[in-house]
Amino acid sequence: MLEYLIIQLDDTSTSYCHYEIGAKEHKLMPLETLKAGIRFGMLENLMIQFVYPDYKLPDDYAAAIESIDHNKIVSSLCEDEALKAEADVMIFHEWTGLSLAQLDEKKSYVLRTAKADLFDRYLFLKDVISKVMRLNIVITDVETFTEEDFEKYKQILHILSEHIEKAYVAGKSPQFNILTDRMMLEKMNNCGAGISNITLAPNGKFYICPAFYYENEEDCVGNLENGLDIKNPQLYKLDYAPICRHCDAYQCKRCIWLNRKTTLEVNTPSHEQCVVAHLERNASREMLENIRKHGSFMPQIEIKEIDYLDPFDVREHWDEELLQQELIKYHQENY
Amino acid sequence: MGEMQIREDARAWQSGMAKNITFIVTKDCQLACKYCYLVGKNVKERMSWETAKTFIDYVLSHEDDFPEESVIWDFIGGEPFLEIDLIDMICDYLKQRMFELNHHWFNSYRFSFSTNGINYHEPKVQKFIEKNREHLSIGITIDGTEKKHDLNRVYKITERGSYKDVVRNIPLWLKQFPGGGTKVTISSADIPYITESVLHLYSLGIHEVNINVVFEDVWQEGDDKKFEEQLLSLADAIIDGGYYQDYACSFFTEQLGKPLDPVYDNNNWCGAGRMLSVDAAGNLYPCTRFAQYSLREKNAWIIGNIKDGIDKNKLRPFLTLDRITQSNSECLNCEIASGCAWCQGENYDAADTPTVFQRATAICKMHKARVRANNYYWNKLYRKLELEGKREEFEKNKKESNPTIC
Repeated sequence: MLEYLIIQLDDTSTSYCHYEIGAKEHKLMPLETLKAGIRFGMLENLMIQFVYPDYKLPDDYAAAIESIDHNKIVSSLCEDEALKAEADVMIFHEWTGLSLAQLDEKKSYVLRTAKADLFDRYLFLKDVISKVMRLNIVITDVETFTEEDFEKYKQILHILSEHIEKAYVAGKSPQFNILTDRMMLEKMNNCGAGISNITLAPNGKFYICPAFYYENEEDCVGNLENGLDIKNPQLYKLDYAPICRHCDAYQCKRCIWLNRKTTLEVNTPSHEQCVVAHLERNASREMLENIRKHGSFMPQIEIKEIDYLDPFDVREHWDEELLQQELIKYHQENY
Repeated sequence: MGEMQIREDARAWQSGMAKNITFIVTKDCQLACKYCYLVGKNVKERMSWETAKTFIDYVLSHEDDFPEESVIWDFIGGEPFLEIDLIDMICDYLKQRMFELNHHWFNSYRFSFSTNGINYHEPKVQKFIEKNREHLSIGITIDGTEKKHDLNRVYKITERGSYKDVVRNIPLWLKQFPGGGTKVTISSADIPYITESVLHLYSLGIHEVNINVVFEDVWQEGDDKKFEEQLLSLADAIIDGGYYQDYACSFFTEQLGKPLDPVYDNNNWCGAGRMLSVDAAGNLYPCTRFAQYSLREKNAWIIGNIKDGIDKNKLRPFLTLDRITQSNSECLNCEIASGCAWCQGENYDAADTPTVFQRATAICKMHKARVRANNYYWNKLYRKLELEGKREEFEKNKKESNPTIC
C-alpha cells in the first residue's frame, strides 16, 4: 500500500540513495505541478517527502510546501542555511563535510560513500554515531564488491559493532542502519519503491524511485493528469521476489533500481547486494548476542545462525510451501 | 530393436543432465518462413572462426561453471548448414580440446542440428555427417503436406515453396537417422491442414512428429474450435489406422490437461538460463530466443560476452523462476494446466515490462482445445484396446513423444 510520495523539487535535487543525479542542470518543478503533486498526496493520503536542490527555493514554493505536513531531505551542501536547520534528513556526499559539520543529536543523517572511502575512514563513524539520532550509510558502488571487499566489510562491521555494543551497555540507543536495524526487525523492512512509496519528478510524471527518473525519463509509471499506471506492480512486492522472499536479512534495502541494473529484473537482487546484506545481518546477530551477555535485550528477536551469505546459493533447499500459499492468496485477492 | 535404442538415447540426452550450448553460426537462411520468430534475420551476422574459438576456449577453461554430465553442442541459424565449413572446424576443435584438456565432456557430447533440410544432401554436409555420425542428432523440419509446408516455408524473395527441395532429402536422412523426428509448427493459417500433414509425415517414414502451436499472439476468433476439430479428426485417423502402435505425435500425451500442485509442480517449464547461446558478435544469451534477432519488442538479454565471460547476476532471474511467480491467477487455478507450455523468450517479448516474470497466455484457448481432443484420443484408444484385450500390452510398450517445445 502506498504511504509516501517523494517529490523531487528540481532536477538537481540531492541524491539520498545509490543513484547519481549525473549532469542534470537546474530545472525547478513548475509551481502548478508542485501544487498538483501536493494535492495528489493529500487525496491519496500519502506522507510527502520533499527532496531539495542545493539552492534556495522561491518563497511561493516554500509557501506551497508548508501547506502540508511533510519531511525535508536536504543536502549538507545546500546554500539555504535556514532550510538545513529544518531538514528532517541531511545527506552527506563526502566524508570531509561530515567531519566538519555541526551534528544534531535529534536528527537523522545519510552518508553516501564509495566503498574505498568507507574502508579507509570507517573509524571516524564511531564519533558520528555517538552524536546523532540516526546514521544511514549508503554504499554507492555496492555492485562492485569483490571477495576481498566482502572480507574487509565484514571486519569493519565487526569493529564498529564493538563500539555500538558498548554504547548499548552504557544505556544509549544509537541507530546505525547497517548494524542496528536488523536487530530491531521481525520482518522485511526494505526501501519499498513502487510499493510503499512513489516518486514525482519535476516533469510531473511518476517514477518508481528517483533513480529510475535519472536513468531514463521515459521510464515513468504515470503522471499527475492520469494517475499512477504501474505495469506488473506485483513484481515490486516481496512475495514476487523469489530470492528475497526466502531471506531474513530484513534490513536490506532491496534496491529495486540496483536489482534491475545488475540482474535486469526489479525483483532479483545481485549476488553483491545479497552478500553485503548478509554480512550486516550476521554482524547484527553477533552484536545482539554480545549485548545480551550484559543482560536481557530484545528477547523477542531471534537471528538464526546460517551458513550462507547469498540465499541464491541454497535455492535447492528453500521451503516453498508456506510462501506459495501466500502467493496464491495474493493472486486470488489481486488478479 | 536398434530404433528403440536410439529413441531412449534421445530422451536421456534431454533429461536435464546435459548442458545445451548453442552456436548461432549465422542469422541467414534460404527461407523466409511466415511464422518464423526470428524477426531480425540477415546475411551479415555470420560467426567468425575467431569468435567461435574464443567462445570454446572460454567454456572449456571454466569447467567448474559447467558441471553438467554431458553437453549438447547445438548449431542454429538461420540455417546452420549454410556455415558447414565453420561448423566442421568448430566440431574438430571441440573434440581436440575436450580430449587435450581431459574434459569431463569428452565422450559425453553430442552435436545437434535443426535444419530446413534444403542442402542436407550436399557433399560437405554429408562428409561432416559421416565424420561425426556417432555423436550427431539432426532434425529436419518439414511441416506436412506440400500444401501445408509451402503455405509457410517459402524461399525469401521468390516466395516459392520449399517442400520439394526438402522432401527429396528425407529418405537419406531417415536412412542415416532412422529414429529422426521432425518439428512441425502450427500457426493460424495451418490449422485446416493438421490431420493430413501428420499422416503425410508418417507416410514419409517419419515416426516421431513433434508438433506445437506458436506461442505468439496470432490466433483468430474461432481458431480453437477449428483446431479441436482437426485434432479430433487426427485422433480418429491415428487410432482407426493403427498408427498409435509405431508412430508418435506430441499433440497426444497422457500427462496433458491435469491440475498442477502449487508446491510440488512449481518448476519453470522452460530451460532458458540453463542453456547458453553465443552469436557472431560474441555476445552470450540465456537462450537463443533472447538474442536481438529473435525479439520484436524488447532489447536483447545479454548475459556476457566471450571476452569477459558470463555475468552470473544476469542469470539469477532465470535460475529462480518458478511457475507460480510468473503465472496469473487464471493459470494458477487452471484445472487442465499440465502440459500448457510457455517460451520464456516470448514471455519476455510480450510482457508489459522488460521481465521474464510475466507469462504470455496467447495459447490458452488452443491448449484447452488440445486438452479436449487429447481426452477424446485416450478415451477412444483405451476403449478400443480394452475391447481387443490389448491395453496391458500397449501400456507396456507404448512410445512417448518428445517433450521438446522449442
